[in-house]
Amino acid sequence: MTRRLGLVLPILLIIGWEIAAIIVNNPFYLPKLETVIPVLLSPFSDILGTGSLVDNALVSIERVVLGFALAAAVAIPLGIGMGRFAVLNDFFDVTLELFRPVPPLAWVPLALAWFKIGIVSIVFIIFIGAIFPILLNTVDGVRGVKNTWIEVGTTLGAGERQILTKVILPGAAPTIWTGLRVGFGISWMCVVAAEILPGPTSGLGYLIMYAYNLGQINVIIAGIIVIGLIGLAIDQGFKAVEKRWFGWRGLER
Amino acid sequence: MKSVKIAATAFIALALILVLLTAGCTQSASPSGGAGNASPASSSSAPNGTVGILETSGVGPMPSLLATGQVDGYIAWQPVVEAGVESNIGQVAVYSKDLPPTGEWSNHPQNVFVVRKDFYAQNPDFVNDFSALNLAATQYINDHPQESAGIVADWLAGKQNFTYGNVSVSSVTVVSNALPTIEFTNDPSDSWKSSTSDFVQALIDIGSVNGFVKNSSDRDAVLYNFQPYQNAEAIIAAKNVTTPTPLQNTVNVGYLMAVDHSALFVAVKDWQYFNDTYGIALKPEDLTAAKPAVADFLVNGQKVATVNLVPANAGPNLMQLAATNSLQMSYVGVPPAISAIDIGTPITIAYPIDNLGSGLVVTKGAPAQDWQSFAAWAKQRSDAGQPLVIAAPGRGSIQDVMLRYALQNSGFAVTDVKV
Amino acid sequence: MTLVLSEVSRTFSSEKAETIEALSPISLSVNNEEFICILGPSGCGKTTLLRIIAGLEYASSGSISVDGAPITRPSPKMAMIFQEYSLFPWRTVEENVALGLELRGLKKPDRVAAAEKYLDLVGLKGFEERYPHELSGGMRQRVAVARALAIEPSILLMDEPFGALDAQTRNRMQHELLHIWEKTKKTILFVTHSVDEAVFLADRIVVLTHRPGRIKEIVTIPATRPRERTSEDFGQIRRHLLDMIREESDPAQ
Repeated sequence: MTRRLGLVLPILLIIGWEIAAIIVNNPFYLPKLETVIPVLLSPFSDILGTGSLVDNALVSIERVVLGFALAAAVAIPLGIGMGRFAVLNDFFDVTLELFRPVPPLAWVPLALAWFKIGIVSIVFIIFIGAIFPILLNTVDGVRGVKNTWIEVGTTLGAGERQILTKVILPGAAPTIWTGLRVGFGISWMCVVAAEILPGPTSGLGYLIMYAYNLGQINVIIAGIIVIGLIGLAIDQGFKAVEKRWFGWRGLER
Repeated sequence: MKSVKIAATAFIALALILVLLTAGCTQSASPSGGAGNASPASSSSAPNGTVGILETSGVGPMPSLLATGQVDGYIAWQPVVEAGVESNIGQVAVYSKDLPPTGEWSNHPQNVFVVRKDFYAQNPDFVNDFSALNLAATQYINDHPQESAGIVADWLAGKQNFTYGNVSVSSVTVVSNALPTIEFTNDPSDSWKSSTSDFVQALIDIGSVNGFVKNSSDRDAVLYNFQPYQNAEAIIAAKNVTTPTPLQNTVNVGYLMAVDHSALFVAVKDWQYFNDTYGIALKPEDLTAAKPAVADFLVNGQKVATVNLVPANAGPNLMQLAATNSLQMSYVGVPPAISAIDIGTPITIAYPIDNLGSGLVVTKGAPAQDWQSFAAWAKQRSDAGQPLVIAAPGRGSIQDVMLRYALQNSGFAVTDVKV
Repeated sequence: MTLVLSEVSRTFSSEKAETIEALSPISLSVNNEEFICILGPSGCGKTTLLRIIAGLEYASSGSISVDGAPITRPSPKMAMIFQEYSLFPWRTVEENVALGLELRGLKKPDRVAAAEKYLDLVGLKGFEERYPHELSGGMRQRVAVARALAIEPSILLMDEPFGALDAQTRNRMQHELLHIWEKTKKTILFVTHSVDEAVFLADRIVVLTHRPGRIKEIVTIPATRPRERTSEDFGQIRRHLLDMIREESDPAQ
């Protein structure tokens, strides 16, 4: 029942949009569905010489996955260290909190200067966007591992490594997973920011910017819808895993 | 404690709602509603009243702003000028060359080709040969406008249609109409230099140029190095080019998705022609791509260098890349080039790639078919307390400077409209 | 085997750099298969003492030995049962019970067999695939006992294991514990602040003073089991213990 309920509002919005577009009758305020739908219905056709929706989506996904994977590879071990050892936490905390509020977009000029044109600078921006939620959630998750669990491990003879693999990681996993989910969401948002960088001639963010520069609003809206749909699909994937493996969260007794 | 928390939350929520409401109210772009009577409609120095200028970043949003009545007109470069006309949103009031003062802008610079000093010092033959190709391409555009329009439309839009609102126009049509409004030339003539000089002075006056360019006793020496042009001319005239030693590193060349940079598009897409006629070519590695990203530079049939073609959103981005040596050469607008040189970027302007090509587009049906009628309209609106608002693509851009000068010259005070 | 505590004490520095004495030197000798209760008012250090024996905390002075061999780290001869939150919520009941064996590298089939055996012993046959959050408090503690027994220790250390349970479950668990003790012949050190519980369960009760706890008295309970909670003899002993506890709890002292 609740799943179906979630579909009601989008459908209402689409109907409402079309009605409003007809009433407003100025396609610059509100383009009619008829201009946007054709773009969505031919996802394999080239758009303005920049490639098809599908091509661009795949390119963006590839870049996001790279940046995200890199962020996770750095944030999770660091987060575990910071969560476990107060010394590490105290060492890194102030610096991290200093950088966290800076929007990824602000890093663009520096990214260009350091990494030149190319995929590295794009991946860097996405990395910056993803790393903080993953890191913070990992630290939280590790801190949230009950001392009693660790003591159970110790008294049963577990060494440091076993404590890490059999107590800390599984105990912190649900919170880390949430961090990954949020981190991926932000990475996906950063796609547009990252693809504003000169150099890329493909990607959903690039497509939107390109269409913007030529004033092609219907393409922009189609791009936005695709970005939203992909983000939704991936988030659902994260949630499915959470449901399957981390159902025990919040029920610790 | 709990009641204090509730009260505080309610207060903050209320304050936020108030902020949102008032933000909505003050979003009007019209200068009349906002600051009250801060600038009187007319004064002795501005007898004809006020006109507001709204700076946008880039020209992309301009048709939309015009169609939704947020501005009364815009001044932009191609293809956005033609697009506004083709899509029935607006009409051209005046092309940039006809802006007053009379004759001031009849040759105004628009885009140039810049080269990094160190790159030219190390690879003079390459730059000269590349420049020869630019010259040949410019000639080609002038000789074969229809063909060129097709090539440029393919590069910019895959030859597809542009959709503005309900109207769908062929990109080929838009580009075909846009090309004649641009003067494609590479000659750094005296009148060009003089016009550019005026422009530099304008930038100094508004304070955006105040470094090397401003403080140098010989501005020309700081800004220009025309050797590539002179050598290129010689190569074309002699109909003979010697193959330079192949370059070891890839060359990065920047450009914008603008009709002004057609020389590059034509050179790449019709590489075969230039190869056969001049012995110089920029052959794309992917022959089917609409916008090739990598090309081989060939001289006399031999590959001399790999060239990355790097598009950007705006001139300043290109100049940033040039500053970090991510680009060695670039097609770019004059204002960003001057600003870059002014702050010490080690580049010089080698030659122009086009002049003119901007236009002032106003609401369709407005009483403005030339500058005179436009000015009359502006005065009428100003007197009525509803001054015109014109969008310009950024402070210090050529279009922005030309418009301000024209307005002031015609007795208007210019206000900056803030959103 | 005998467990010998010799002048074991614990002092530590607080955040304000004060020296706090948590436990006065304790000397005690525990015999094989004995059921010892450690009884005392809140804060007397009884849990600290247990944790020191378990190897979770260091003794500031003194030594502990089992059969003459000194121990400082968690010893495989001992297993600890905590009051609550000790089961790993991400593991099934069987996986929880098998934890100690898993840490020791036992192969899966052997682990599973052992887990099933001990689950049967504590009366939870059939619950192998359940998760902790599906069980009642009493059942969870039985799993904890099974887990401790699975590594076949000589000594069980129990820190108020029934403190979080309701009165009826608590009584039932006491019965079952005695039943398991008789079957497995372990030595048990059982910390509690409940006089009734101590009298019902123990061979000897070690009564501690208020902080810093030292041994006030060791009361031996006549060995008859099963015990009538309401019998006269036990009433006397109970009164005696209660008097002592009251004495130690009086703030005026």
